[in-house]
Amino acid sequence: MNENEKVQSAPGADCFSVEPMLVATGLTKQFPGVLALDNVDFSIAPGEIVALLGQNGAGKSTLIQIFAGAHASGSYDGTIKFNGKPFQPADIAEAEAVGVALVPQEVNIVPDMSVEENLTLNNEPLGWGIIDVRKRLLLAKKALVGFDIDVDPLVPMSSLDLATQQLIVIARALAKNARLLILDEPTAALTEHESILLFNRMRSLKKRGVAIIFVSHRLGEVFAISDRVVVMRDGRICGRHEIADTTRSDIVVEMIGRTESNIQRSFSPKPGAAALEVRDLNVLEFEGRKRVSALGLTVGKGEIVGLFGLLGAGCMEAALAIFGAWTGKREGMILIDGVQRAIKGPDDAVAMGLGLMAQDRRDCLIGDQSISDNIRIASLDKTVRYGMLDIAENRRMAREQLDALQIKADSIDTEVRTLSGGNQQKVQIARWLAANTRILIMVDPTRGVDVGARREIKRVWLELSTKGHAILLASTDAEELVDSCDRVIVMRQGQQVGELSGLDLTEKNLLRMATDG
Amino acid sequence: MAERRIETGNTDMAMRTSAPESFLFRLKRSTALRSSMLLLVLAGVWLFFYFATNGIFVTPRNLVLLALQTSIVSLAAISAVMLIVTRNFDLSVGSAVAFVGVILAILTVKHDVNAAVAVLIAIAGGILMGAWQGFWVTRLGVSSFIVTLAGMLYFRGISMIATNGATVAPLPRSLTGFATGFLSPTLSISAVILALALYGALRFVEIRRAYALGVSGNVTREFIRALAPSMIAAIIALWIASWQGLPYLVLLVALCTFAAEFLMRRTRYGAQLYAIGGNPEAARLSGINLTRAIFWNFVIAGLGYGITGVALTARVSGAIGGSAGLFLELDAIAAAIIGGTSLSGGRGRILGALLGALLMGSLNNGMSLMNVPTFYQDTARGIILLLAVTIDQFSRRRSLGR
Repeated sequence: MNENEKVQSAPGADCFSVEPMLVATGLTKQFPGVLALDNVDFSIAPGEIVALLGQNGAGKSTLIQIFAGAHASGSYDGTIKFNGKPFQPADIAEAEAVGVALVPQEVNIVPDMSVEENLTLNNEPLGWGIIDVRKRLLLAKKALVGFDIDVDPLVPMSSLDLATQQLIVIARALAKNARLLILDEPTAALTEHESILLFNRMRSLKKRGVAIIFVSHRLGEVFAISDRVVVMRDGRICGRHEIADTTRSDIVVEMIGRTESNIQRSFSPKPGAAALEVRDLNVLEFEGRKRVSALGLTVGKGEIVGLFGLLGAGCMEAALAIFGAWTGKREGMILIDGVQRAIKGPDDAVAMGLGLMAQDRRDCLIGDQSISDNIRIASLDKTVRYGMLDIAENRRMAREQLDALQIKADSIDTEVRTLSGGNQQKVQIARWLAANTRILIMVDPTRGVDVGARREIKRVWLELSTKGHAILLASTDAEELVDSCDRVIVMRQGQQVGELSGLDLTEKNLLRMATDG
Repeated sequence: MAERRIETGNTDMAMRTSAPESFLFRLKRSTALRSSMLLLVLAGVWLFFYFATNGIFVTPRNLVLLALQTSIVSLAAISAVMLIVTRNFDLSVGSAVAFVGVILAILTVKHDVNAAVAVLIAIAGGILMGAWQGFWVTRLGVSSFIVTLAGMLYFRGISMIATNGATVAPLPRSLTGFATGFLSPTLSISAVILALALYGALRFVEIRRAYALGVSGNVTREFIRALAPSMIAAIIALWIASWQGLPYLVLLVALCTFAAEFLMRRTRYGAQLYAIGGNPEAARLSGINLTRAIFWNFVIAGLGYGITGVALTARVSGAIGGSAGLFLELDAIAAAIIGGTSLSGGRGRILGALLGALLMGSLNNGMSLMNVPTFYQDTARGIILLLAVTIDQFSRRRSLGR
């Protein structure tokens, strides 16, 4: 297989030119508090498919956003040349005009508009200042035929499946004469079959001399489609390989950054009785698309159980569904302390002693309100005295949590909006502690949190588990799970593919299990 | 480069936190300061009219009149605040109030139903209207703007159908007497003092408990600080009451305000409403049942229709299906906004809305005393509303930060 790829790619590269299309040297990008890119060199030739790999936060997104013009030229250091000329786009439109197009991970379309309207969005052919409808249809047809998509340009976008929508978004980028196409996890939301369709198109683009940067977490795909791999870690490039000269495990090691760390959570007593048990959990979108199928898991008292999977694997959906917060359909059985419970909504879940820290903390916090108001909202029922809200008790509770979790704020009246990411997360934890929550479900709890605060938050949940709280930790961060969890359940494309614990629980095994496709 | 510059700009600012900056910052952020700003504006307006009308404006007689003129808008503004706090709108108040009035008038005038029974039925009718709209908003998921816009049309329409466009009057004495009558000065003064004492006792108990739990400083100082504004309000009320007592209608407004403030600030339900308005998703994920809370929000608004409708109908002594309560919804929303209720939800005080209603009423009343034509009055109110909303927008930057 690898041999075949090699044979195909070599003449392709020769045909068009030996000159690289895009050359970046010494790219450095500083965000407040974070060095996102540190002196990165990168190049890609016409007709080449380069896979860009790395864990979350490695700097992949920043790099491709710079190429796509999402960060204005001047907001970073270093130089980029495109076809030999300096490339300094001020915005996305400028980058597209030169021939660099980014297709973001989220398929961004206007669902209620037709395919042709989507294809020409913000690029409509004009005649006398109004849209030239005939010309638009022609353009749309040309874009579809050019990319070999068999779809009526007049049907609404929402009537198509996700894979076709994805293809159309790529066709839209190509219609703007893209010479360098950047695909950010294009397969994250696709099924295996749909992915294969996409790869066929990528191969035909390659033959036309289009260069493709391909960001993915699925190593199987990477080996099937790319010519080269570039691995990033902590804002630097830590590996460049011809695909034929490397192996999956080499790449996994490079992504993690160390051969192996078998540092296990220091205490590992026998877990208590099952606090939370989930059987045969199916999570579906309203349209019937299955996101999680037949998931079963148990979290004992004092146990931290991880739920690991790459984006789109279904971990987040499962966590939300257990809490009753999934907006689509859900099937399955949930037992709290061994008793089956009907959790119809988050209000039921909270009443049963569950708490949720959602992936985006903006969904969980009221930014314009005080720390105290944010902490009390899950425990309003418990602080009613003579029919009145016990405001003094609310405030005492908030102050107690402020001290216990060392939340850095002037007072409990400080608006949550003004706190740092780490402190905001602590406010969320404080809310559930104040509500006497016994079972905590966390989804990517340290996302967007700096290293110091991350360590502190970890300390908090380790402490909670010693006090007998049951914790379900759904995360895309393998390192975090290895450090904290007793067991980790691994998911891939909605399926539970295995469970790791003890000495087997390593980042390498996690990534391998989650990526083998 | 641009981003880096902004970054250093911030640190510079943080390092030389000088007094004026922090003051401005607090001015922009603090709701308390905003309502005291509103008080300042109100005081300025009153002072202006005091001189412009040779003192007529600030006499007990005129202030009683002002309070009566403001009473209907104030009643409607109470439920407007409660709905806007949860990001819901009510455009149907005016029509719903007219409909309640029609029920009351038809029962008492055409069917000779006992006044007390008719009032109860009319209020129940208001509650049903609120529940009906709440059903559409929470169960069927139609936006409150649309539901109440429709309500504005058909409640008005039904009122006209039921009365055939004619005025149903006059209401029995017992009802008009309530709307125009006064509680005797002695009883009024007792009522004011009793209310102050009750409020003081409530605050005292609260502050003592806060002290016991270690979340409050010196009890006496906190108590004085908590009670000072209501002392001033009580003194003004006593001065007005000494003339010929307080109108029943004004006492009704006071009672409703107290009840609504209590509900919003001192009950679990009120805290839920503020949380929902602040961030519906966060409220939902914290276990608050949004559907239930917002349904009751509309039921309470319906109770408001009932009370406001009865008060308005009694005050004009009859039901005029076509014009009663016309534009009341806009005045109510304007009062709420001027009083600091945020259109994006989660923030707003009933007392602020009353001050907003009072400010608009003062402009009308004062300009009428000065013989300014009504067109100018509307213009002035419009400008005040615009300024209030602009301040509201500048005072908030929505987002959780980085």
